[in-house]
Amino acid sequence: MGALTDAKVGAFVNENFVTSYQKVGTFKIVGNNKQGGNVASYFCAPDGRVLHCVAGPVDAATFLNEAKWVVDTVLAANKTSKGEGAKFKELFRKAHAEKLRNDTGLKVEPITWDIETTTDQDALQYKDPSGRPLAPKLPAPPIDGPDVRLTDKEFNARQQRANGAPGARLEACVGQGGEVRKVVVNNQAIVHQLLAAHSMQKIETMYGTVFENILGEKVSTKPVDVVRPFSWVDQDGKRLQKE
Amino acid sequence: MRTLSTLAVLALLAGPAFTIDLPTKPTTCARHGTTIDFVGSPKEAAARAKKDEKLVLVLHISGHFEDASLT
Repeated sequence: MGALTDAKVGAFVNENFVTSYQKVGTFKIVGNNKQGGNVASYFCAPDGRVLHCVAGPVDAATFLNEAKWVVDTVLAANKTSKGEGAKFKELFRKAHAEKLRNDTGLKVEPITWDIETTTDQDALQYKDPSGRPLAPKLPAPPIDGPDVRLTDKEFNARQQRANGAPGARLEACVGQGGEVRKVVVNNQAIVHQLLAAHSMQKIETMYGTVFENILGEKVSTKPVDVVRPFSWVDQDGKRLQKE
Repeated sequence: MRTLSTLAVLALLAGPAFTIDLPTKPTTCARHGTTIDFVGSPKEAAARAKKDEKLVLVLHISGHFEDASLT
């Protein structure tokens, strides 16, 4: 992996983004033990609304590809929307649906209005171990099955590519004829599925669904600012002794 | 060179998710063993991005993994 140590990634990110970090408490139960450790990268507008996300560690080429897609899509959407916020959001959600189709051959219907998210009092919340609400559970639009504009050969090629990406798994979907079939999705496919309905929401609204629903880790804290993002190096990159 | 000069319009889309006020004393960037320049907080990143007409990248890091390959 090592995307964030790659020179090309660094050059592109530093030219187009201002980067920061936060720590999020998460864990998985493995046997009787809590384990955790993951990363999610949120590409945001300057006002903090999420344009795109890379869920989990990926290789440099994938990270660069996703970062370039964000910049290109922002430039195209800005040009078309002519400064109209609602139009920009609609274009961005449609772009996520289109990228899902290009990457995996799967179709979702983008939701171009804002779904009302749950409040802290609702049951549909990710909660910390003491029961305090942390973030809403965001519903993703259903996968409608293979895009019917693709030939079987095109669809199978995209599914094969999707199967080689991190987090690849089978998911059931209901096709247009009502038939149930299994299709391949991966972490990025589910990100696009989610953001076809929720891009331009705040990170705080989205992070619970990214960690719990996509990466399979339970969140235990809200995101907090920290001094050192990576516990094994100092800010100059010098490896630290184990504490 | 790519320019994001039209990005300022994004800040006008709706209510701000971060409170955007420039820090009185900006922190210096650190790379933390990567090739990326990090600022100290998402709030500071938002303020700098608005000023420099760039986008914002925020990493959410969880757990105490000691494996550099994760990043």
